[in-house]
Amino acid sequence: MFKVSPLRKRQVIGGIIGVVVGVSLFYMFTLEATEEYVSIGPMNTGHQELNCFACHADAKGNLLQQVQSNIAHAVGARSTGVDFGTQDVTVDNCLQCHDRPNDRHPTYRFSEPRFKEAVQHIDATTCITCHTEHENERVSVANINYCMNCHQELDVENDPLDISHKQLIADEQWSTCIQCHDFHGNHRYEVPEKLKDTIPMKLIQSYFDGGDDPYGTNKKYIALSQEAWLKTLEE
Amino acid sequence: MKRILKTILVGSGVMLLNGCGGVPEEKAASEAEEKAFAVEEVLEMVSKENDVTRTLYTKAIVGKGKKQGMKFDEDWRKDDVEAGPLPALFLRGVATSIRKSPVPLGLYLGSDFPVNAANKFEGKQAELFNQIKEDQKPQFFYDEDQKLHTAMFADLASAGACVTCHNDHPQTAKSDWKLGDVMGATTWQYPKDSLTYKETVAVLNSYAKGTVDIYMEYLDEIENFKDSEKPEIGDKWPAEGNYLPTAEVFLDSVKKLSSYETMKHLVAIK
Repeated sequence: MFKVSPLRKRQVIGGIIGVVVGVSLFYMFTLEATEEYVSIGPMNTGHQELNCFACHADAKGNLLQQVQSNIAHAVGARSTGVDFGTQDVTVDNCLQCHDRPNDRHPTYRFSEPRFKEAVQHIDATTCITCHTEHENERVSVANINYCMNCHQELDVENDPLDISHKQLIADEQWSTCIQCHDFHGNHRYEVPEKLKDTIPMKLIQSYFDGGDDPYGTNKKYIALSQEAWLKTLEE
Repeated sequence: MKRILKTILVGSGVMLLNGCGGVPEEKAASEAEEKAFAVEEVLEMVSKENDVTRTLYTKAIVGKGKKQGMKFDEDWRKDDVEAGPLPALFLRGVATSIRKSPVPLGLYLGSDFPVNAANKFEGKQAELFNQIKEDQKPQFFYDEDQKLHTAMFADLASAGACVTCHNDHPQTAKSDWKLGDVMGATTWQYPKDSLTYKETVAVLNSYAKGTVDIYMEYLDEIENFKDSEKPEIGDKWPAEGNYLPTAEVFLDSVKKLSSYETMKHLVAIK
């Protein structure tokens, strides 16, 4: 069919092999069964059963349209660029499963201007600041002293603790907060009154790393499963 | 021959890239529409609605309800607490509902003497709040960091219940509040500098829906009361006995009280 010069034979064979391998790889790695090989890291605790599409929705248009639109944007022929491949993951994606009325620290509240300085230390307006995905863990903050950014002036009336909250704050014992209070307030559990009875930091750290829940299993709100989330989309 | 091939290749490449037309630009339908209101006007309108709603809730539900033995608590969402939301938490409920709606409106409440120290104004807000305390006039600024148009409005002690509850609260930072005092301020944020009629109505609607949502949550909470007496929910108000209005009746009253003011703005000739 095609006449190939003997001198170019190897080039052509190489080219054909390249195209075949490329297409096969593209096909294989877009299958559901190979998602874990495409993922940039193992999913965080509780997310192991999710498919990629649960967070990474396809971007609008086909790949060619996306390339064209972004080139047009780059040369100034279009005012905005478009997502390429998949849409950006935002807080809204997280909230579709994790939103609830009883969150003690919902992300939106930190958009208020008065949290400007606190947000510079820890950006609580977005989930991934503390819950970086694909890390095979629960919480990814480097230091558990984040309460200090907003609660310096806390003064508890009739403080039930043996060492008062005020004293703990004065001593800058900021990692003790989490030994009684989970950040989102989603657990029903008896809070101890003596500091020695509080949850040891070792257990907290292990929980953050993906281990057992030291606050107990009695939760106020359970996040939606992928199936339940898909059903909400049908409504 | 080679030139022809090259031309065909380049040509088909360009065709491939341009032929499909790209991803349609997401021009908000509103862009073509005429901008009807400045963001300041809209935030003033919705803040007036908020004043009416909160005063009604504080006076007619919390104030009169307490006289009927109804309870309102900051821990109202806790399982072992059988109570309704205090006015500040009612507002927070509205704000939460608005955030869940597609309308990009932010609403917050703060003070210089808040019951919860974490709600104390800082920075720019603290500065503007001092001005508000003096003249009770709204303050507007553009939040450069977040690129949001921001407005602050005085939150007045409009009902006896505001004053007594805050003065008697065990964690109060100030116990000599008087009726009419500027107890705090609401902060509102919106990303655009001007809004179409449609966007303006969407802002007003999202606030009204927020009111219904949090009020419905309160009624749901009552439904789950185990030890406390449940008020009868219908078209009567706590002033008449152990009654609570339905969400529709409550919203109807808000509309009756606020519609004239809001309407005046909406239909004003530009």
